[in-house]
Amino acid sequence: MRVALFTTCLAEALAPRALKAAVLVLEHCGVAPEVPLAQTCCGQPLLSNGLPNDGAKLAQRMCEIFAPYDAVVTPSGSCCSVVREKYAGLFAEGSRERANANVLAAKTFEFIEFLETQLKIDPTTLKPKDCSANARCATLTCHDACHLRGLHRHGCTAPFLRSAGCGTVRDLPDMSQCCGFGGMFSTQFPEVSSALGDEKLAHFTSTGAAVLVASDTGCAAHLAGLAHRKGVAIRVISPAEAIAESLGLLAREVTSANASTEAAMHPKNGTEVG
Amino acid sequence: MNELIAPPLPFDMKPRAREAVRDLKLQQFVGSATHLKDIHRGGIFDRDFGHDYDALRTVARDTKQHALDHLDELLEQFIANARASGATVHAATTGAEACEIALRIARAHGALSCVKSKSMVTEEIGLLPAFEAAGIKTLETDLGEFILQIDGDAPSHIVTPMIHKDRVATAQSFVRELGARYTEDPTELTMIAREHMRGLYRAADIGVSGANFLLADEGAAVICTNEGNFDLSVGGPPVHIVFVGIEKLIRGARDLAPFLKLLARSGTAQPLTVYTSFVRGPRRAGEHGGPKELHFVLVDAGRVGVLASEKRDLLRCIRCGACLNACPVYRKVGGHSYGSMYAGPIGAVLTPELERAQAGGGAGLANYADLPRASSLCGACYEVCPVKIDIPKFLLHDRARLRERGLSPKSEGAMLRLWRWLAERPMLFRLAIGAARLHARLLGQKDGSRAWLRAAPGPGAGWTQSRDLGMPTGERFRDWFATHAAKRDTKRGAR
Ligand code: SF4
Repeated sequence: MRVALFTTCLAEALAPRALKAAVLVLEHCGVAPEVPLAQTCCGQPLLSNGLPNDGAKLAQRMCEIFAPYDAVVTPSGSCCSVVREKYAGLFAEGSRERANANVLAAKTFEFIEFLETQLKIDPTTLKPKDCSANARCATLTCHDACHLRGLHRHGCTAPFLRSAGCGTVRDLPDMSQCCGFGGMFSTQFPEVSSALGDEKLAHFTSTGAAVLVASDTGCAAHLAGLAHRKGVAIRVISPAEAIAESLGLLAREVTSANASTEAAMHPKNGTEVG
Repeated sequence: MNELIAPPLPFDMKPRAREAVRDLKLQQFVGSATHLKDIHRGGIFDRDFGHDYDALRTVARDTKQHALDHLDELLEQFIANARASGATVHAATTGAEACEIALRIARAHGALSCVKSKSMVTEEIGLLPAFEAAGIKTLETDLGEFILQIDGDAPSHIVTPMIHKDRVATAQSFVRELGARYTEDPTELTMIAREHMRGLYRAADIGVSGANFLLADEGAAVICTNEGNFDLSVGGPPVHIVFVGIEKLIRGARDLAPFLKLLARSGTAQPLTVYTSFVRGPRRAGEHGGPKELHFVLVDAGRVGVLASEKRDLLRCIRCGACLNACPVYRKVGGHSYGSMYAGPIGAVLTPELERAQAGGGAGLANYADLPRASSLCGACYEVCPVKIDIPKFLLHDRARLRERGLSPKSEGAMLRLWRWLAERPMLFRLAIGAARLHARLLGQKDGSRAWLRAAPGPGAGWTQSRDLGMPTGERFRDWFATHAAKRDTKRGAR
């Protein structure tokens, strides 16, 4: 099976570590993903902001670039939903473009979804062998991207990570409410967007977790950015990073914001690991 | 009409939204009420329907769509059957016409006072101001609407109109307007309102209401309320007028069940509203209650135009309010930010469309350019809608129309097109990302593996108004992957 990593523009710019983690975890699961070089942006910013024809051009590019692969995996819930739910409708019924879009839609998966439904990975097999290593992963809580609703994958990340033994996974209160990112909405209605983000951060803080796992790069950047401005101690990572850290494939990051909390919670594991 | 729900056009949503976010009371009342309703809605559907919930919504969607597709036939049937039962049926193309019809009826009876039960369409057509201007004293009998009326306030939710107010405000208004003694006890407050209203019911010359469904087979209307105020408004006065949008038509009682199962559960997590009233024809010989004259005013006010448009699905809406309760933006900005009696997700798509489709033609989106943009496209509205209206799809549709007509900011469009141009040129695209990273590295504050910007230039400025922008400083993913893949392939080759 040839698997391509659909990196997404936002993750390449803002979350290279999430992509790295995705590669390492996939390899751990026996899949060696490829990274098609020509990929850029799936067109979501255009499709969400009233430029469907421009978006369709990028959709066509995506269909061509990923044509050689059997499966396409992405760490971004929203980009995944765009490919799956929006692409086909951009092209005329019966057209070759529509057919191509349907082919791509059928083989594109969000990262955890791919592990669970395509590779049929039993998450308990991802449990770190060395139990003391488990402490590497802090207490965490998950916020799923709203766009996973349409894929019927909303709320699936936390149970998976919990079974995979990625540290202590706490439930995030009111998880289903949007974090307020919403693409350009975040800059068009910054007050509303931030108010929603603040509410999400307050829920996060109430769980006592040190790490927030967000299944979309945009949500992650929004929440991390809000927290950084306010000095809220939080580390926002992707589901792939949570698994990679728990398996010891990636070292845990330390920043000034989380150093004290994490050091307090895991005195021996606060620093660089393997 | 009240400026809160009928603002001067073009309407600017942003100042109201900004103010609402800062209004702590609104945040508290609207936030907690909508959250609770949404949770209970999910709970009651789980409990009562489990996995069949989706199938039930599909039936409701298809039934309502079928009715809309056959609206002309259903209208004829309804009119014939309602007349056969002794009711008078009027058709109004515009809101003004609907008010005029009502005023004619009122004048014919020399009516000076009116009791009105809750109805969104009467808000839409501005019936109350028209009655007041004609000297017909009108009493809102829905408790929430009554409180709004004595406060000169306007509904901010289609089901729970005073969701933005609390008991304290109500208590104060009752002291001020009714001379009641101060109490915050909900039962006592209800009793005060009840005492005030009872006498007025008996004395009223005319009763007015809306309707939740019109039954073509029976020529009847179905009205769902929790307070029984409709039954009093139809039982007391000698004349009753039902105002109803033509999209409320369904084939008949045979099609009613899925809607009754869904309406109250979606709106307030009740199995049924406390009262489900059927009105068919005026009082017959030998009957003791009911109006001597019953009128139906079938209101178009843009609905025919919506029916002919790509947005016809919107007419399936049964005004349950579930999408408002589930919407993160509504929860933060409240109903008055939408500048319409129809707030929240459904309001954002319906308000401009109804305005456009008015007789004479409104400017539509040009008058409400903010509404389609005021959404994070989270999809919660679509998920909860009992008749499966794909509201996010229509928001996107409207955003495209705004862009086509040059009603969205030009600079934003230019930036997005530049983005597309870059995205078609992978080398340049990567260079641009590299430039952004470099900018952050040079000017940002280093922290761990990121450089944080407090003020980003150009399009990033909106972002950094309230958040920092953290750009990674380490190795680029592509560089890492090139080395990694090379190692991986050698390992494989060696095996
Ligand atoms: S759009 Fe759907 S959820 Fe919203 S009020 Fe109408 S029927 Fe209810």
